Amino acid sequence: MSRPASGAAAGKIGGAGRRSRGVWLTALPLYLFTIVFVAGPLVYMLVLSFQTKAEGWGVEQVFTWNNYLRILDPVYLDTFLQSLKLAVSTTLLVVLIGYPFGYFMAKLSQAWKRRMMMLIMIPFWTSSLIRLYGWMILLQAKGAVYQTVRFLGFDIDPLKVLYTYPAVLIGMVYALLPFMMLSVYSSAEKMDWSLVEAARDLGASPMKAFLSVTLKLTMPGLLSGVILTFVPSMGLFFIADILGGNKIVLVGSLIQDQLTRGADWPFAAALAVVLMIMTTLLIFLYQKVTHSTELEGLF
Amino acid sequence: MRLKRKWIAVVMAAVLAIGTLAGCGGSPAEPSAPGGQETKAPSGSDETKASGDRELVIFTWDLMFPEELLKDFEEKTGIKIVYSKFDTDEAMLQKLSAAKGGDYDLVIADDYIIENAIAQGLVQKLDTSKLKNYGNINPVFQSQFFDPKNEYTIPHGAGIPLIVYDPEQVDFEIKGYNDLWNESLKGSVALTANSRVIIGMTLQAMGESMNTEDPAVIEKAGEKLKELAPNVRMIQDDNTQNALLNGEASVAYLYTSQVYAALNANPNLKVCVPEEGLGFGVMGAFIPSAAPNSAEAYEFLDYMLDAEVAEQMFEFLGYYCTNKAAEALIPEELRELLVAPEGRTMEMVENVNNEATETYNKVWTEFKAACN
Repeated sequence: MSRPASGAAAGKIGGAGRRSRGVWLTALPLYLFTIVFVAGPLVYMLVLSFQTKAEGWGVEQVFTWNNYLRILDPVYLDTFLQSLKLAVSTTLLVVLIGYPFGYFMAKLSQAWKRRMMMLIMIPFWTSSLIRLYGWMILLQAKGAVYQTVRFLGFDIDPLKVLYTYPAVLIGMVYALLPFMMLSVYSSAEKMDWSLVEAARDLGASPMKAFLSVTLKLTMPGLLSGVILTFVPSMGLFFIADILGGNKIVLVGSLIQDQLTRGADWPFAAALAVVLMIMTTLLIFLYQKVTHSTELEGLF
Repeated sequence: MRLKRKWIAVVMAAVLAIGTLAGCGGSPAEPSAPGGQETKAPSGSDETKASGDRELVIFTWDLMFPEELLKDFEEKTGIKIVYSKFDTDEAMLQKLSAAKGGDYDLVIADDYIIENAIAQGLVQKLDTSKLKNYGNINPVFQSQFFDPKNEYTIPHGAGIPLIVYDPEQVDFEIKGYNDLWNESLKGSVALTANSRVIIGMTLQAMGESMNTEDPAVIEKAGEKLKELAPNVRMIQDDNTQNALLNGEASVAYLYTSQVYAALNANPNLKVCVPEEGLGFGVMGAFIPSAAPNSAEAYEFLDYMLDAEVAEQMFEFLGYYCTNKAAEALIPEELRELLVAPEGRTMEMVENVNNEATETYNKVWTEFKAACN
């Protein structure tokens, strides 16, 4: 009796082994790809950040902490602060504009939902650089906005918007808004609206119903929208370079400076490592504070 | 529902990817030349292929030669030109270093990076007897720090950053660097984004050398530069002249090719050759140490040194002519822009030691932050 049983058990184990080996084999290319193209460069960067810049050109294989110590200089700490400030203000603006947009989009009819989706997507068929140049043309001293206002009969001075902080904010919000709109939309879209009706029937004011039902149910979308906006905005330095005239020093542009004319790769690597650790910590903290374990479309 | 979520995820991934790619471009304002993209010279190269498949791989920035000249060279010699582009000097050196001095037959880049390339053994010595037009070179641009004995390079144009301004918006005559600090220019100065050039200009305004390695002097220049911050409208390396042309700025400190482009677009602009001294740079052509087709590279170099060809090229390029024989052929109205001013203190931006480099980088970051 025991023989066939153990035989069956062995067979089962063997079967499971084969199956898991099969799964493992199909996943192998993915793992290899990740190790080679994601983990590899990260390790390379980490190693590089502890090496020394050679006189002239290149890197010397000499261990040093110096690259990290240099970041403690107030000038460089300030660039992290600037990046954080821009990322936070961008994210806040994106929440203020993107949340209502996604919310109302979910209330549209199916046909209009499709149309709105198209309208959000169409700009992405054009290079983001070209769209930024579009903003430059609009905001220029005597650009499209100025000309239009003049045409309408108002006598105004040439604009002083381009190459200022507000111009950078406009560009950042413009670039990142779709992430928020889409993730809020995706949450609101599958929400059970009868719950809102129930809340209203039980005497909740529209505001109260929104706060205690709608907001709670769309929270995963809002929270993942925040991450999808915040993380890229820590790194989108080319918007600040183009619309801000290079006057706001973000960590991204500092890294670029060090990699090109500065020719100081180890310092650039150290900056990148610190930026990544900082962003990861902030996301971790964010998840702890908001108790968000399940984010819409993420994780 | 799942399908929709997937669709959103895919779109977001694509958007992220596009954003990242655009960010890596290095010089955001130069969308035309993604790093290292190889393009064939637009020409009848297919017809010339019959004559023995001779090839020449040129590695340089975009728009360094007028197309007619490349075509003419191909027709005359039967050599097919492959034009490989880079965005920055640093990207060039990285690629050349990875190819161990091979893959490319002729490189044109900036002086300071050539010094590094020579130090790495990536450049071969020239046999000038193979160049019958060698004597056409203007010796003023030779024997510089990166190639003191003229063993490796042929000068291929020189640049001197100058101040250009719109006299309608500036109510005094700008004579030199110190005038940029004038209080009436608040928020109206555009600068190129090369740290060494801008800090160098400040050092020259203080009567110091652009290449000082003394951290105290560099820091002092940094302090002076910070006082310029309220006047700065924008800092940008590519197409800086546009700020002047579209009215964002009324004064700009520009590279030679940008000065040329600005004056071509608006002849009413005034050029100031700063009285305190000039900084200049030379672009040099060299043959990499393991170039597969060096014979073809010599042929091309000799062709470009021909007076008439060089004249056409400099008129297209908008840099100072480094070919003495070509100078005489430059039309009168372009002479001021293509023939370098004489009798001034001229200094090149040279590579400095690590400590000084760190200080220059720090001072530059401080300056940019002060402009915000």
